[in-house]
Amino acid sequence: MEKNAAFSGNLNFLSLADVLQLLGSNGSTGLLRLKSPLLNDVGNIYLVRGNPVDASTGSQKGIAALYALFGWIGGEFEFCLEDVACENVIQKSRMEVILTALKMLDDGEIEAIGLPEESPEDVFLTDDRFASAPVIKGPLIDYWYIVDEENFEAGEKIVEQGKHGNWIWVILEGVVEIRKETTRGTLPILKIGSGSFVGSLSSIITGSNVRSATTVAVDGVQLGVLDSQRLANEFARLSPEFKDFLASLDRRLRQVTDKAVEAYEKSGQIQKFVSRQAPIIAQGSKVESGFVITQGEAFVVRETDSGALLLADLYRGDFFGDISFLDIGHEPGAAAIYGSKGLETRAPNLEVLKREFDELSPTFHNFIEHMAHCITATSAVAGGFTEKESEPL
Amino acid sequence: MLGFMAVYNVRNREIECKIVYYGPGRCGKTTNLEYIYRSFTKQVSGKMVSIDTDGDRTLFFDFLPMGIGKVMGCDVRLQLYTVPGQVKYSSTRKLVLKGADGVVFVADSMEIRREKNMVSLKDLHNNLKGYGISVFSIPLVMQYNKRDLEGQIPLMNIDQMRGDLNAQLKVPDFEASALTGRGVGAALKECLKLTLKSLQRELKWVE
Repeated sequence: MEKNAAFSGNLNFLSLADVLQLLGSNGSTGLLRLKSPLLNDVGNIYLVRGNPVDASTGSQKGIAALYALFGWIGGEFEFCLEDVACENVIQKSRMEVILTALKMLDDGEIEAIGLPEESPEDVFLTDDRFASAPVIKGPLIDYWYIVDEENFEAGEKIVEQGKHGNWIWVILEGVVEIRKETTRGTLPILKIGSGSFVGSLSSIITGSNVRSATTVAVDGVQLGVLDSQRLANEFARLSPEFKDFLASLDRRLRQVTDKAVEAYEKSGQIQKFVSRQAPIIAQGSKVESGFVITQGEAFVVRETDSGALLLADLYRGDFFGDISFLDIGHEPGAAAIYGSKGLETRAPNLEVLKREFDELSPTFHNFIEHMAHCITATSAVAGGFTEKESEPL
Repeated sequence: MLGFMAVYNVRNREIECKIVYYGPGRCGKTTNLEYIYRSFTKQVSGKMVSIDTDGDRTLFFDFLPMGIGKVMGCDVRLQLYTVPGQVKYSSTRKLVLKGADGVVFVADSMEIRREKNMVSLKDLHNNLKGYGISVFSIPLVMQYNKRDLEGQIPLMNIDQMRGDLNAQLKVPDFEASALTGRGVGAALKECLKLTLKSLQRELKWVE
């Protein structure tokens, strides 16, 4: 970089649009020089009182050159204060140039060079991932599927484990606690807040309408009753593969919940998972594909300091691996997969599944993300008992 | 830093705030800005930038609000933007939303646009979240536009729109007709008021 540069940096951090806005509102006059390591080329933009007056890169000049430079996503920039004597070739205002260029970039009229990899969205909203009862907040509520509203007072039961019912609610206000009845008494598993759902998809997927847990209003709670007929209709229109995927997700949530109950009932003294074989997917490894079991069994195992904890058994029709569009907080990042003898799998078409996931109604989409959050949080609860209570005195 | 985004321009002793008009395609965002540009000529500085984007137009201009006095000895300059509705214009949306100080959400009162409004509000939420801004904390006002079509086309009633869009947010809301200008100035004024309040809170100018 030049020694007399007044301002320099990386385009990955501050894009050309940002740099031009900054120099623009500062009313700067001088030369803005861009360097792209990928193109092994430089670009020059001349500014007078904050407005671009001319530019050049390679054989391009003027506005065409300036637009092309917006495609340099990576690279470096430096701005030197100097007198600019060139003609006013670019007549457009700064913001007009910026907005036009970005539009061209999005329309594919400007080639984007050196795109950074997209970082995955942080979807987890609990206060503390490993607290025994984190509050999970859902996304912004979609009011489209709500047919009625109901109010519950603090301490009031909304559903009771073992009773029948298939209504699904979305929490509009307040916090709800999900509890399991165990041989050691009541176990609070999760707290969920506005945007989260009460009830499970099981009634839609399998037709079962026995409640698997108790939910209680922690404070004054307002719930929106979801139009279950509409959800059922939407489910019915899904592809068989996507239905299988949802059923597998629902089974996994039930399994990790059962593991949490088991760990609690046995005060963490549960049998640790031991395998003589190497895992199919090691915890923390990078896998970029998904699998569907066609024969045999697979085990989801979390390696912790106090040993390997079995989180779920997977059977024929279950999915595992890296399901790129949904993070359930298990393999490959935070759990390993071991296979039984004779395990056979096939590859699901993740692209088609992702497309279907993206096209779901906001409510259905939110519900599935909510299930994924519950799997993550419940696994942390199960792991929490094992770690806390199995420590030697 | 995340909450406070306005740019303090030392040279001109100005505070630049960005107010963004957001909403589903053809809801009347551009009509809002065009009305402001036409009717408040004394306060508009520079010409309006209009970029044709698929199914929509993206507008931008500078606006110097009158009658709000100086804030800590500085003039306040507003940059008013609309956001292109289409998903593919992510670079433009990012530029516009990054550092937004206030948002006017323009909802379409037409019954057939009910779902489009809700999807767009969810988009706003997700997009802001991407920049570390919560839709619950950013200065936001809601405008129920196209009320002038009452009696001509099936419109949603205000209570229904409030229930759909504003039950959780509980922000100031306005019935409007961007075409005739009804509710346009009021929504902008309220958004500006909230934005300045939020700036003062961020900077602890007032306790």
